[in-house]
Amino acid sequence: MLTSFKLTRRNFVRAASAGALAIGAPAILRPAMAADVLKIGVLVADSGPAALFGPAQRAAAELGAATVNAKGGILGRQVAIVFADAGASPAEVAKSAVKLMLSDKVEMIFGSHDSAVRQGVENVVKGKLPYVYTPVFEGDDCSPNVYFLGEVPEQELQKTLPKLLEFAKGKTFYLVGNDYVWARTTNEKAKKYIGEIGGKVVAEDYYPLGAPNKFENTVAKIKAEKPSVVLQTLVGGDNVNFNRTFADFNLSDDIVRLSCLLEENTLMGIGKDASKNLYSSLGYFADIDLPENKTFIGELAKKYGDKAPQQCTISKGLYDAFIFASAVAAKSKSLGAKEFAAAAEGISFETPSGPMTMTKRHTTKNIFLARCDGTKFTVIDTFSAVPTQQSCT
Amino acid sequence: MTGGYFEIEKISGGYGSGRVVRDVSISIGRGEVVCLLGRNGVGKSTLAKLACGFLRPLSGAVRLAGHEITGARPSENLAVGLTYCPQERVVFDDLTVAENLSLMRANRRLDDLDRYFQVFPRLSERLRQHAGTLSGGEKKLLSLVRGLAEGSDMIVIDEPTEGVQFENVVRMAELIVARKNAGASFLVVEQNLTLVDRIADRIVIMDHGEVVLSAAASEVDREDILTHLTV
Amino acid sequence: METLLLTQVINVVYEVLILAIIVLGLAVVMGLLNVLNIAHGEFIMIGAYTAYVVQKSGLPYVLAVPAAAGVCGIIGLVVERFLIRPLRYEPFETLLATWGLGLLLRKLVELGFGRGYRSVEIPVVGSLNFFGEAYPTYRLVLMGVSASVLAGLFLWYRRAPTGARIRAMVGNPVLAEAVGIKTRELARNTFVTGTAMAGIAGVMIAPLTPVEPFMGLAFIVNSFFALVVGGMGTVAGLFAGAGIIGGLQSVLSATVNPTTAYLAMLFLSILFLWQRPRGLFPRP
Repeated sequence: MLTSFKLTRRNFVRAASAGALAIGAPAILRPAMAADVLKIGVLVADSGPAALFGPAQRAAAELGAATVNAKGGILGRQVAIVFADAGASPAEVAKSAVKLMLSDKVEMIFGSHDSAVRQGVENVVKGKLPYVYTPVFEGDDCSPNVYFLGEVPEQELQKTLPKLLEFAKGKTFYLVGNDYVWARTTNEKAKKYIGEIGGKVVAEDYYPLGAPNKFENTVAKIKAEKPSVVLQTLVGGDNVNFNRTFADFNLSDDIVRLSCLLEENTLMGIGKDASKNLYSSLGYFADIDLPENKTFIGELAKKYGDKAPQQCTISKGLYDAFIFASAVAAKSKSLGAKEFAAAAEGISFETPSGPMTMTKRHTTKNIFLARCDGTKFTVIDTFSAVPTQQSCT
Repeated sequence: MTGGYFEIEKISGGYGSGRVVRDVSISIGRGEVVCLLGRNGVGKSTLAKLACGFLRPLSGAVRLAGHEITGARPSENLAVGLTYCPQERVVFDDLTVAENLSLMRANRRLDDLDRYFQVFPRLSERLRQHAGTLSGGEKKLLSLVRGLAEGSDMIVIDEPTEGVQFENVVRMAELIVARKNAGASFLVVEQNLTLVDRIADRIVIMDHGEVVLSAAASEVDREDILTHLTV
Repeated sequence: METLLLTQVINVVYEVLILAIIVLGLAVVMGLLNVLNIAHGEFIMIGAYTAYVVQKSGLPYVLAVPAAAGVCGIIGLVVERFLIRPLRYEPFETLLATWGLGLLLRKLVELGFGRGYRSVEIPVVGSLNFFGEAYPTYRLVLMGVSASVLAGLFLWYRRAPTGARIRAMVGNPVLAEAVGIKTRELARNTFVTGTAMAGIAGVMIAPLTPVEPFMGLAFIVNSFFALVVGGMGTVAGLFAGAGIIGGLQSVLSATVNPTTAYLAMLFLSILFLWQRPRGLFPRP
């Protein structure tokens, strides 16, 4: 440890005295390390409101890298991950992305974070290298050389809503969400599907994101309106808060709830006394009964034992990103923007939630409708290969 | 055990490591009033603070009724019968006059203070006012009443008459003498000879942090004092 | 629609009382000692985790109240001794120090319990008919307990001399020591009381929210705004602050929309900080 520090310093001094930039010192050292390692920058939530997912994201990414490496790596090169924190402000994360590109010399970036951060990263990456964005999001983004693996609202709703009506007592919908782009876009798209099935939206409420919200008001209104379905686009703590308040006011017997972002951690917070008649529509649940998923969860258990962080759709997407990138590179034989984009179109790959196909840079995938039983999900219906209806070229 | 009720023995000290007071010894007997005089800045107030526990002496000892109290906290000293009335910030400005007096009384009653209110009717008129609204002289009266009402046998008062009108200085002297006759001892830091003449049994004069004169009040004439008080 | 109105009225009262009980510990420490305990939310969080542990061990939920008061009180004792007292209760220094303390407490809880959400089951299930309208029993119990605690505190503060002694100590510490107030102990006890109260508030609200290491951050914001608007160090200020911030948010949330309600609250608080930083009922 000490010697390597001295070496770094000596090189630094030498480089500086030669008039080189400070950044030159690590560059001198670099050839000593494996020259042909393919570095991938992975943006995970180490801090911020989504930091809850950080450990699971890291675990999924590391398993993804190990899986790819066991099969010979990407383009015949072993991959190595350089993690960076995606929990800071978009401008800060964009700086980290620049550092990943210039200083760490990563050749791809994978990210699991919100859309504001994605736009910040897109602005600095500018399509120069493949950027794989993995979580649930609102769609409608066609930035060059960006590949979207996450569920878009069309996938979460178009087949799920008609199915949900089988459990509801009518066709009236109350929409409640956080006041930001994902929730509002999802609800706009939901209104179209609700119209198609002859349903009616009776009211919609939006709560500020990141504020200390309380939901007694909306729950009182729901109690008076008596809708048959409450469609939720609340995230994290607000999702927990709303559903606990809803159950406290004794509404869960008569009104069905569907959440568009309810994963394993959030359900733990909601708890078993508040999860009756609550449903979730997502592209992955940690308990789904597929051999690929058994392998995925089994490998994580082998690696982390009891301390394996709880997987969910938000974290598992980063594993998919490695599988996706390795499949595309096998075809394109290059990470160049043009070649990579051409090879990505139409490519199919196997993931823990089943097969996925990249179409117009978005991902056709299985969608699961799950019912909450206590603090566990029971998948009650699987919709295969649900298209995204996105149209990026 | 030497004779005095309150004994300051070879005290040295000041603020931080400064030595404002040097080897000062004063012994006060039961029912004795000692007035401490001297020009500004010679260490009188510092001595009072060292004696009462507001400053920790660098050396020397303080004894009350034969028990050493050197370095004890003021709140502990009060519990064993040592009262202190400061020179500055003499009352709680944020509290009412009544609260200033009842603060440490479990029942908050002020019945037994009637005799003081008869002497200083200004205070009873202003019981509900914040003490911060009183004049400087009125604050001194309130401070003295608070100190006397604590019922201690040893009372240290720092400059009680600053800003106080003549007739009230005379009334202060009467109150102090009455308490002295009931057995209490006093150390009064004072410049005002109107008060000193009326209460002092003994006079101690300090200069440059040291005692330069200590004698029975009857043996010291006014001229001697005035020479020490002028430069 | 009449029943909706009634429920909404109860909601407003509920929100005001809950906010008041959450602010209480902060108000005691800030109003009486001039120490803004930024880690107040973390003490609430630790109280909530204590409730979680008590419930998980199968003990009656009521036991969480003394347990949380004890845990938060002991932490408060240590913090006072090694952080607040060495900084001599200076407002700015202690603000920075308690900010750091908040980070530390979050990290420690995260190490012990992880980042994940925990849920505390409602200890009193069901609904009660309240003026003909069903309202969750636990919330009614909470409202009752909060109202009693606040009323009890109000009476105590008016009757017992401790309140005046604390004010005396903060205003003139030297004289306070002279009149026999053990200032070191009184300051310590006041601080510890504040942290223990935060712990109890944590037990009360734990069944209503996700219990996680960062939950405290949400509470400190509203609490601080309630103090700013109400004014520090007076019981009237506490009620006014909780009433205005809690009530305004609840009413606007019901009549306009929650985002507007939140913005209005921010706007009002900034207005107060700017034009009347001592609040409506400051200590004279």
